[in-house]
Amino acid sequence: MRNNFIFIILFMLGLYALIMKTNLIKNVIGLNIMEASIFFWVIAFSDVGGEVAIHKMGEEFSKFNDPVPQALTLTGIVIGASTAALLLTLIIELNQFTDTIDRDEIEGLNN
Amino acid sequence: MHKYLKKTLVISVFILTAIALYENFLLVPEYTGLRTGVSDYIISSGLSDTGSLNLITAVLYDYRAFDSLGESTVIFGAVSGIVLILSRKMLPVSSRGLSFIVKRTFGLVTPFIALFSLYVITHGHLSPGGGFQGGVILAVISIIFSIVYGSAFDYRRYSPQVKTAMETMGAFTFLGLGVVGILMEGFFLKNLGFLTARTGTLISAGSIPYVNFGVGIKVGAGLAIIFYSMIQKTFKEDF
Repeated sequence: MRNNFIFIILFMLGLYALIMKTNLIKNVIGLNIMEASIFFWVIAFSDVGGEVAIHKMGEEFSKFNDPVPQALTLTGIVIGASTAALLLTLIIELNQFTDTIDRDEIEGLNN
Repeated sequence: MHKYLKKTLVISVFILTAIALYENFLLVPEYTGLRTGVSDYIISSGLSDTGSLNLITAVLYDYRAFDSLGESTVIFGAVSGIVLILSRKMLPVSSRGLSFIVKRTFGLVTPFIALFSLYVITHGHLSPGGGFQGGVILAVISIIFSIVYGSAFDYRRYSPQVKTAMETMGAFTFLGLGVVGILMEGFFLKNLGFLTARTGTLISAGSIPYVNFGVGIKVGAGLAIIFYSMIQKTFKEDF
């Protein structure tokens, strides 16, 4: 039902962007990729081969996937969007003061 | 030498993390054995409990409504922080807008985008969608206004005060329904049973459509405020 390697590859891709890239916006993108890999894993993990948990009018109860992880993932997506917006705001403000968004070029931070 | 040391360190961290993730994924059992208790209860009796066809909406706004309240508080906190960091006084003119053809075409398309977002918000308990998703579509209107007509247009037509009032109204709708739940049903944010109508109609499922509406307005206004705050500072040199 699930292939773990895809989530590991996505997670490592995000971790690579977070650690190795010096552009701060790329770091935020890496953080979001890591987040997305976890969400994909939660959704794929709770998939038991059923349908989305939405009743259809005039049809009988059928085999559903678990709605709770999907609702929790929705919560996580919203919070991830909020944190990404706040991080990008801080990067904009940093750019106003230092004229760079590269974390190696900011004075006082390298070595 | 220093560089090679750093590289080796990073690669070993990557390999160790990957191995740890793989081992932990192997330890996780199959899901079929886990979905007992809460999940089975929600799947079997969620429709009769809440009247919502969409069980995910039922989880979000009935069983775990307090969680959704905290979620919208997180959005409120993010909006407050962004506006605080990027606050400014002057009227922003970040872009002059696109050509006449684009402006006319977008004028024709705008009502349909608004209609679609209202559809997604109000049908959250019947079909896929809901407050958060529809609110994002609502915020898209404000973003395209800024791009197509120039950000001064967006400022004059929908000033930040209006957006702030809309966001506050959405939050108060949510909280007010929670307080009404205390008064009528005995618990904070309990679904209002006396509002329930025939299952499957637009106004059914107790207070879920109203909560959805409040959350949709709140998310739309909040994301519009975020975008608006960001674009002002970015293009300051265009004055």
